[in-house]
Amino acid sequence: MTFRQFAFNNVLRNKQIYAAYFLSSLFSVMVFFVYGIFAFHPALKEVHPSVTVGLHFAEGIIYVFSFIFVLVSMSAFLHSRKKEFGLMVMLGMTNKQLRKMVFLENVLIGSIATISGVGIGLVFAKILLMTAESVLELKESLPFYMPWEAIILTCGAFLLLFVVISFFTVFILKGNKLIDLIKGSAVPKKEPKASVVLSLLAAVLLAVGYGVALTVKGDKVVFAMIPVTVIVIIGTYFLFTQLSVFIINRLKKRKGLFWKKTNLVLFSDLAHRMKDNARTFFFVAIVSTVAFTAIGTLVGFRFMLTNSLAEERPFAIEYSSSVENEQEGEHIQLIEEKLDGLSYQKLPVHIKNVSIPSLATEYVPLTGVISESEFNAIAEAGGRSEKQVALDGQEAAYLYYQSTMMEAEDIEEVRTIDFAGKEINQKTAFGSVLMRTFDDYLIVDDAFYDAITDFEQETFYVFQVDDWKATADMGEQLLEDLGVSDTNGYGEHFTFSNLGYDWYVINQSYGTVLFIGLFIGAVFFVAAGSFLYFRLYADLENEQQKFAMISKIGLTDKELSKVLTTQLALLFFIPIITAVIHGAVALTALKNMFNYSMLESSVLVLGSFTLIQIIYFIFIRHNYIRRIKSYITN
Amino acid sequence: MDILKTEKLSKIYDGKVTHKALEDIDLVIEEGEFVGIMGPSGSGKSTLLNMVATIDQPTSGSILINGKNLLEMKHNEMAEFRRRELGFVFQDFNLLSTLTVEENIVLPLTLEGTKVKEMEKRVAAVADKLGISEILQNRTYEISGGQAQRTAIARAIIHRPKMVLADEPTGNLDSKASRTVMEMLEQINREDRTTMMMVTHDPIAASFTERIVFIKDGKLYNEIQRGDNRQTFFQKIIDVLSLLGGDASDLSSIRV
Repeated sequence: MTFRQFAFNNVLRNKQIYAAYFLSSLFSVMVFFVYGIFAFHPALKEVHPSVTVGLHFAEGIIYVFSFIFVLVSMSAFLHSRKKEFGLMVMLGMTNKQLRKMVFLENVLIGSIATISGVGIGLVFAKILLMTAESVLELKESLPFYMPWEAIILTCGAFLLLFVVISFFTVFILKGNKLIDLIKGSAVPKKEPKASVVLSLLAAVLLAVGYGVALTVKGDKVVFAMIPVTVIVIIGTYFLFTQLSVFIINRLKKRKGLFWKKTNLVLFSDLAHRMKDNARTFFFVAIVSTVAFTAIGTLVGFRFMLTNSLAEERPFAIEYSSSVENEQEGEHIQLIEEKLDGLSYQKLPVHIKNVSIPSLATEYVPLTGVISESEFNAIAEAGGRSEKQVALDGQEAAYLYYQSTMMEAEDIEEVRTIDFAGKEINQKTAFGSVLMRTFDDYLIVDDAFYDAITDFEQETFYVFQVDDWKATADMGEQLLEDLGVSDTNGYGEHFTFSNLGYDWYVINQSYGTVLFIGLFIGAVFFVAAGSFLYFRLYADLENEQQKFAMISKIGLTDKELSKVLTTQLALLFFIPIITAVIHGAVALTALKNMFNYSMLESSVLVLGSFTLIQIIYFIFIRHNYIRRIKSYITN
Repeated sequence: MDILKTEKLSKIYDGKVTHKALEDIDLVIEEGEFVGIMGPSGSGKSTLLNMVATIDQPTSGSILINGKNLLEMKHNEMAEFRRRELGFVFQDFNLLSTLTVEENIVLPLTLEGTKVKEMEKRVAAVADKLGISEILQNRTYEISGGQAQRTAIARAIIHRPKMVLADEPTGNLDSKASRTVMEMLEQINREDRTTMMMVTHDPIAASFTERIVFIKDGKLYNEIQRGDNRQTFFQKIIDVLSLLGGDASDLSSIRV
């Protein structure tokens, strides 16, 4: 048996021990690679050069993250093998040989992890792309391709990473005395202590951070963002390292609680675990908060964009035709042919452009006059019945274009307007999105309207379709048929617009960004979960011994499950709950900035993450309890 | 009254070579007795103790503790039975390092859901008896081996079990600490009439018991009673051990 054979056999014959480290390495490789597939996607390169730069920057972050993740996994892994190393050193293995062995092991695990990570990543990417297509209604914008660039980058980056990390082992193993190695992880831990000052500081920092984040409004949010983030991050750190230990130690002093049934077993460990896992918790909480906030914002934006689009565009198709337009009849016939088969309502608004000197401006010399009945018809069809007007004789209403995002225009409500020797009594002025010619109009009584003879004719057609999303394909076709696909619907004498198609376009372009955002968020979230998982299994051996001992005294299965479940639940949900609260506060602050409620999307995002975490928890709990029990019965 | 009664107790390990760890053991321990189990390594004495402790199950035969048949109990019943009716003292103390001495002692009571006041009263009494009142608030890594074993004894008797089972309680202790621990066990047995069963290698520790049962190759070999004089009892133990052909170390009388 040569030394190299020894190192290799050591790995291959001890698959169980190496599995956790191997899996976390594999996971890092896979995440990096799958992300790489998107970052190098040819379809994204066409979007905008800045998008590619952003994507590669994020890839860098993922690399740094992978590095830390693999390093932490490895140090936990080496820690759990201290005894083994102790034995080898005692048998006469030199430090150099020990490092060489760990190095060889790492190279072996690293290369297998890299190759299998890329393999699984390819399959996973295909599934992800398919899911993205159906869930986000993306059509062929992200096809699957053979990502050679990503493969080369991943292999190169990770082989480098494993080699560099192998050198880190020198530092981890250095300075360990033989006696410490042999005692392994059995050395008792000192009682965890917490500083009162720092615990108070944690509470104060969090309170101040939340307070500021929730109270600032509008543009000030931008200025408050960075200091609040820093304050909350520091507060969170002390929350886990100090405040939590402080609270547990306080609870332990209350014998009525601490000495009650299995609480004794539970709490005694909790303070230690909190202290040990404080950094993991902190890391997980912050990473999850970032994921929640980023995804929440992206989903919120999407809701905002698509909702406001549908909100501001009451009609599926709009066609506005000026006086010189000779193709009007032909075009309307074409539109109606396309709409054949769908249930729709065609409503024309005949606009009489007349000269009213008192309303004329340099750019708009003529004023459009529309009839009360035609306006009321489109108001009803557009679902804006409250905007309907009732006019008599000389009365008129002044209508201007106003979307939900715009402020009301400052126009005199009541006034008298001279027109062709008659007096018009304007009794109201209001804004609406109904006339998307963006002009101002006077709405008058039908009889008065009919009496106007000297005018320039302009017509605005709206087509109300219930299932407007279904008009997307048709809209694209019509833009081409009308010869205005290059000008986005603007012809020489007419304007055509289709809500379904515009919605589809926004959805497509934004959907890609959203997808990448969701993916990165999910990666961070899953990574956080794996971090916890790894911590858990690093402590498994100690836990098994402890529970074997208690069960000799007499612990029923039910009590065992109860203790373990509570312990795991705290471990799993404390960081996530912190993250959910942080995320909720951050999203509320963003809501204050954009003046748009993201409640729906926040609840959706935070809720689904919590749900995933619960499923994860149930799975891990089952597995963990099984392993502890099987140790006890043996 | 019989506290422990085993009938035709056998334990057979199946494998490529079938190994009979214990064969037809009939053993009766009466209330208030202090019984030692001795025998060479591999004789089956720890297997016997584990079966009485309900940690291991026999292949055949029956075990009655306080009239209850252990083999008819379900898994969870056994757990509750252990913590109500039995007390354990182990060679390596088996204390939880995250708890203080006091908390380790009350562990069986907290699992039972005893009231805090009652627990505090009992801890004070038992700690006083074992001379560990001073170290109640210390953590387990801050105390000596002898103190750790006395803590373990305190934990084993705090819930007033029917029987205390001790597995090599002096195995990890120096001779002075061993002596103290054995004196404590003897005192508890004498004053509280707590039934005790102890497995040991150590003839000195064994000499504190009232009766010793010797096991060889899974079978009962011999049984000797203490009588009045501990010194003669010790000599008798040495004699039987030499007949048993035990290790040389078992015969050592250097510590006397």
